[in-house]
Amino acid sequence: MNFTLIFKNNKEVKSLANDNTSIKDILHDMDLSSETVVAKKNGEIVVEDEKIQDGDEIQLIQIIYGG
Amino acid sequence: MEVCTKCANPKIIIKRKQSGQALCKNCFIENIQKKAIKTIKKENLIDKGDKILVALSGGKDSVATLDILNTFKERNIIDLCAVTVDEGIANYREDGIAIARKHTKRLGIEHKVVSFKDSFDTDLDEIMKVPNHRISCSYCGVFRRWIINRAARDFEADKIATGHNLDDEVQAILMNYLEGNIDNLKVIGAKTQSKSPLFRSKIKPLREIPEKEIGLYTIAKDLEIHLAGCPYAQKSFRGEISEIIKNLSKNHPTIMYSTLRGFDKIKIGLKKEYSNDFQFDSCIKCGEPSSNEICRVCTFLDELGKKVAIE
Repeated sequence: MNFTLIFKNNKEVKSLANDNTSIKDILHDMDLSSETVVAKKNGEIVVEDEKIQDGDEIQLIQIIYGG
Repeated sequence: MEVCTKCANPKIIIKRKQSGQALCKNCFIENIQKKAIKTIKKENLIDKGDKILVALSGGKDSVATLDILNTFKERNIIDLCAVTVDEGIANYREDGIAIARKHTKRLGIEHKVVSFKDSFDTDLDEIMKVPNHRISCSYCGVFRRWIINRAARDFEADKIATGHNLDDEVQAILMNYLEGNIDNLKVIGAKTQSKSPLFRSKIKPLREIPEKEIGLYTIAKDLEIHLAGCPYAQKSFRGEISEIIKNLSKNHPTIMYSTLRGFDKIKIGLKKEYSNDFQFDSCIKCGEPSSNEICRVCTFLDELGKKVAIE
């Protein structure tokens, strides 16, 4: 089971650990805060609890930068 | 499955921890526009016939400000114009300028780009190579305000609208409170007015909307925005305060709202208790309003061996 992850001009295919993986888990793995990122699943904005399925395209858009 | 609190659409794009509300795309967009309009009405930010200059960087906050104020322009309540400041940061600012141009062209809004280079005969990339320079944000803040205020006069604008959001306001309140800076605290608010006729009043229509929600609004509306961090951004006191507030907000999701609301009440007393008859004078070098003989822009330029390069 795989999904495509798009983040900062990079697009890569990643494997899905299990059926229950959510956007929140991905953000946690990438050390990103949901407060700074908007997530899209297959082109539509979703909340961080959204589950990821086989073949999904997940785009993470960082909207807040530190400084 | 959670559905939109307002219309029961199952495709929700936000779950607000502060209120428990879940919203779909259309209801969220409408909600943000209503919130900004509520601030505009409550704080009397706009008068019919105003010409308002939007300080437009091309980032999410200024693009959202332009988008929301444009609804007033469409109804012939106000006129709009925009200025973008080019600080001279290679491989960074160009994208923001291009995006700002696209939006103003699309909406038919007068727009000009003013550079540090044309105004001060130097730019941020050059300044950052000067030994013992100050931190980048000091130059940027001071130089940008000078350019934007002059642009407002050139456009004959009545007011300047900035994209300050709830996070920005709460950071400013805490920073200045912790530093004991009463003079700065007194001027934090939805509308700042100066005693100098050379300063245009500034309005902040988005000050009650969290930064994250403004970003979400621009993406939900498919508004093109400049998505990049400034290459000169560095650890600052504001950054430290921002971290503290973000951490506190995790378990106390209403804390930014309560800080702002409490402060707005305290401010009435602050202004009364700490009023002064201070009058602005003009900088002897550039003629812009200044509380000192030489303004901050000219002080910084002196240190760099430069001076204001435009009349």
